[in-house]
Amino acid sequence: MTLPASLDEAVAALTAMPAAVPVAGGTDLMAAVNRGQLRPAGLVGLSRINEIRGWQYQDGHALLGAGLTHARMGRPDFAALIPALAAAARAAGPPQIRNAGTLGGNVVTAAPTGDSLPVLAALEADLVVVGPLGSREIPVSHLLAGRDLLAPGELVGFVRVPLLHAPQVFLKATGRTGPARATASVAVVLDPARRGVRCAVGAVAPMPLRPLEAERWIASLVDWDNDRGLAPEALTAFGEYVAAACIPDPQGDEQLPPAVLHLRRTVAALARRALGRALA
Amino acid sequence: MSSDATTAIPVLPVLDTPGTPDQEPTAHGLGTSLPQAESRAKTEGTFPYAADLWAEGLLWAAILRSPHPHARIVSVDTSAATAMPGVRAVVTAADVPGATTYGRRVADRPVFASDLVRHHGEALAAVAADHPDTARLAAAAISVEYEILDPVTDPEKAFAAEALHPDGNLIRHIPLRFGDPEATGEVIVEGLYRIGRQDPAPIGAEAGLAVPRPDGGVELYTASTDPHTDRDLAAACFGLQPEQVKVVVTGVPGATGDREDPGFQIPLGLLALRTGCPVKLTATREESFLGHAHRHPTLLRYRHHADAEGHLVKVEAQILLDAGAYADSSSESLAAAVAFACGPYVVPHAFVEGWAVRTNNPPSGHVRGEGAMQVCAAYEAQMDKLAAKLGVDPAELRMRNVMATGDILPTGQTVTCPAPVAELLSAVRDFPLPALPKDTPEDDWLLPGGPEGAGEPGAVRRGVGYALGMVHMLGAEGMDEVSTATVRVMDGVATVICSAVDTGSGFSTLARQIVQETLGIDEVQVAPVDTDQPPAGPSAHGRHTWVSGGAVERAAKMVRTQLLQPLAHKFGMSTELLQITDGKITSYDGVLSTTVTEAMDGKELWATAQCRPHPTEPLDEDGQGDAFVGLAFCAIRAVVDVDIELGAVRVVEMAVAQDVGRILNPAQLATRIEAGVTQGVGAALTENLRTARGLVRHPDFTGYALPTSLDAPDIRIVKLVEERDVVAPFGAKAASAVPVVTSPAAVASAVRAATGRPVNRLPIRPQAAVAVPNS
Repeated sequence: MTLPASLDEAVAALTAMPAAVPVAGGTDLMAAVNRGQLRPAGLVGLSRINEIRGWQYQDGHALLGAGLTHARMGRPDFAALIPALAAAARAAGPPQIRNAGTLGGNVVTAAPTGDSLPVLAALEADLVVVGPLGSREIPVSHLLAGRDLLAPGELVGFVRVPLLHAPQVFLKATGRTGPARATASVAVVLDPARRGVRCAVGAVAPMPLRPLEAERWIASLVDWDNDRGLAPEALTAFGEYVAAACIPDPQGDEQLPPAVLHLRRTVAALARRALGRALA
Repeated sequence: MSSDATTAIPVLPVLDTPGTPDQEPTAHGLGTSLPQAESRAKTEGTFPYAADLWAEGLLWAAILRSPHPHARIVSVDTSAATAMPGVRAVVTAADVPGATTYGRRVADRPVFASDLVRHHGEALAAVAADHPDTARLAAAAISVEYEILDPVTDPEKAFAAEALHPDGNLIRHIPLRFGDPEATGEVIVEGLYRIGRQDPAPIGAEAGLAVPRPDGGVELYTASTDPHTDRDLAAACFGLQPEQVKVVVTGVPGATGDREDPGFQIPLGLLALRTGCPVKLTATREESFLGHAHRHPTLLRYRHHADAEGHLVKVEAQILLDAGAYADSSSESLAAAVAFACGPYVVPHAFVEGWAVRTNNPPSGHVRGEGAMQVCAAYEAQMDKLAAKLGVDPAELRMRNVMATGDILPTGQTVTCPAPVAELLSAVRDFPLPALPKDTPEDDWLLPGGPEGAGEPGAVRRGVGYALGMVHMLGAEGMDEVSTATVRVMDGVATVICSAVDTGSGFSTLARQIVQETLGIDEVQVAPVDTDQPPAGPSAHGRHTWVSGGAVERAAKMVRTQLLQPLAHKFGMSTELLQITDGKITSYDGVLSTTVTEAMDGKELWATAQCRPHPTEPLDEDGQGDAFVGLAFCAIRAVVDVDIELGAVRVVEMAVAQDVGRILNPAQLATRIEAGVTQGVGAALTENLRTARGLVRHPDFTGYALPTSLDAPDIRIVKLVEERDVVAPFGAKAASAVPVVTSPAAVASAVRAATGRPVNRLPIRPQAAVAVPNS
């Protein structure tokens, strides 16, 4: 176990020992170690790297440190910047987990139920990956889809998120009132400058899904120059459009099983409510 | 019999405040909220749980468990494991020196599977090594060749399936026939209900330590809930005499079912005997979920007949319990399910068939309220259906049918104990409803789905539902319920020696209160439990409050007589005319007095007594018989909020009225009821250990969702009816199980009211709580 104090040192440590695994909050990794599923040859702890524990501003974007904890992202000052990410962070498990778990960890673990993921997908965030050959940027969706994987010695250093200065909503359905994994989650962000609505659905597939046609259709109905409100029927139609795109009807005469039908209704309700709140 | 009923609104338990050892306790004796002796150590994290056990030179054990629910074992090769450095012993079925099967009621479960595995997670071998990781790796290195067989996972198919066990697939069948089979009612309602698999989910890790003795015996340090039975079973498997095995009960955390059962203790003891070293085993959470017994998943089919006024005429029911691969306590669970199939209602004619069958699903066994909880969910659903069909208020329909003392159970047993069911029901019905969300500030409204959930006030419907439940107390059907206790007094300190294990039921606190009350001595200690003491029986069915509490009281009274006899003689009066308070002995007129210390005169006083309640009898071939010692009743009104689009349910409030006989410790009683209601809410909404073709899915606390503090509702104990049960010591009834039995049915009833959906399955799945707005 090494505890580097900077990203460069961390990259050097990982390069020196390729079998070592980087660990930030450890909320997923250490659980796997405890269960005996993982026996890392070494650990590179990221908790002492101060440069990734905060955020900075960069031409209309926020450069979020990968070491930002969910607890930090849930605070009001962060919520004023990126409201949907703050809402997702607040919903991500009990306080003990939120105090330890980080944004970068949530991205790299890439669990289907990762709460920050649909928000990052809707924001079309980019990852700043640092490695022995310098740094590069990849869209978050490329990493989640497995199109562009981290190379040996590489780390997620920052997440680049546009600052849209407009309403954003994250909603999550779970099986209980207390903290739990999402059965479905929806992020809706408005981008008034580009007159766009972007939506991503989490937990129903291995990675967040973007219903692009539904986004374009609803964006065309919004009166961007006035009060942006939509009729309830339009919101309902949007919800159903999103749900059908994410959970399509099976081919032929087959019927969706009741549990999947319920999941689709849940996505529809979440998308309708999320858009309604964003436009309210 | 006194009929004084008091309303007790419990206060928060008085915590054991830190202080000097000589600090005077503020509460003592029966009826006070004496705090638990260990509460401080448990709160501060210094209480030694079983997982904290340690012995010099100990080895670590690991158990190899089957990854298949049903398979023939072709071969087991332990050579790779034995050859690993650090491995000290590997034991399989061939290494069991004594009995190769065991069971608390029927010896049908192998210590290690040798020819067949019958459920996912069944033990095949155990390893002792000098490091826990080595033990785990060695267990994984044992190579087992399986011939995979089709698992029988549908209990309905178990009847016709090939026998899974030499004993056959039918563990027990009870046909109950009561009254006239031809009787019919003007109104008939039917239903099919399914109850899921609740896990007792003990939070403290299951752990134990076995230490070999120089005489060839072994000592087992575990959190056993029935030490004497466990000792006898383990000794038989070790090929030893019971006296050569000692079970020392250590660090018991809470338990609502069996934990660290013989299936855990026997491999541990075998390894210690084999290696001659102390051996420790701590179960992983996954092992815990796979290994210990669960609540029986149950399928119930009901038909209720009633007259036009809603009086029940006849109940017909079929009850099918999925026992898993081994019998365990299924026979008792089935008896409770069949006997209480109609609930605390007067039913002139009842025809109930119950079966407990073997499958390849996870094992079922004792979890509090077993049998009674499953039927309660079903008969209360039927009462709601009947109310809807007749257009009668659900609480009113129940009121027209409630049982009272003197009525006859469908088993033919007359209810002789207090049965204040009507009083309980009116208490919860008349309690004011919680404020509607529109009357409270929005910030305070916790919507279904939680504070960061997706709840939308416009989609939330509120529902109110009722349920009445009953359980039996103590073992049923002729079980010998006996407990022995010793009370010793020396130097002004009393010690209670009784092998009743306090699994959180509060027995040890109660024992201290009983001695304080009888002997007037404030400082009372409860000795640790081991099997060198006489048996007290299992910690189940509230038996320790009754039998062990009774034994403690008798022993204390005998000590009292020993203490007062010489004084009474000296004063020329009978011992009844003397009283002991605050360490002083005074005569009835206050003229003569002395201190306890003086009367003791440096002597040590001992007395041992037994308590054995009146005998019961097994149910006969028609399901008839006086099978139960006592009954306890409960009424619950549930108020729920349902997001009818998402199907998310939040239980807002549970109003509880319970028949408790007598309140012995108000704070402890309130926590027992609150814990029971919360466990019931879990069974109603989230707790279900899911399987897919016999394989347990998600054996962890992410996949198995327990209620959190946000899921636990406001629990209002609106009435505790104190009508003393004359046959019970102190007149007190067991309080823990009946709220578990009643709450799931109450929650289901409230969700039915909120959504208009039938709700035939527990836990309630979100898709079953979705409704069309304004329909």
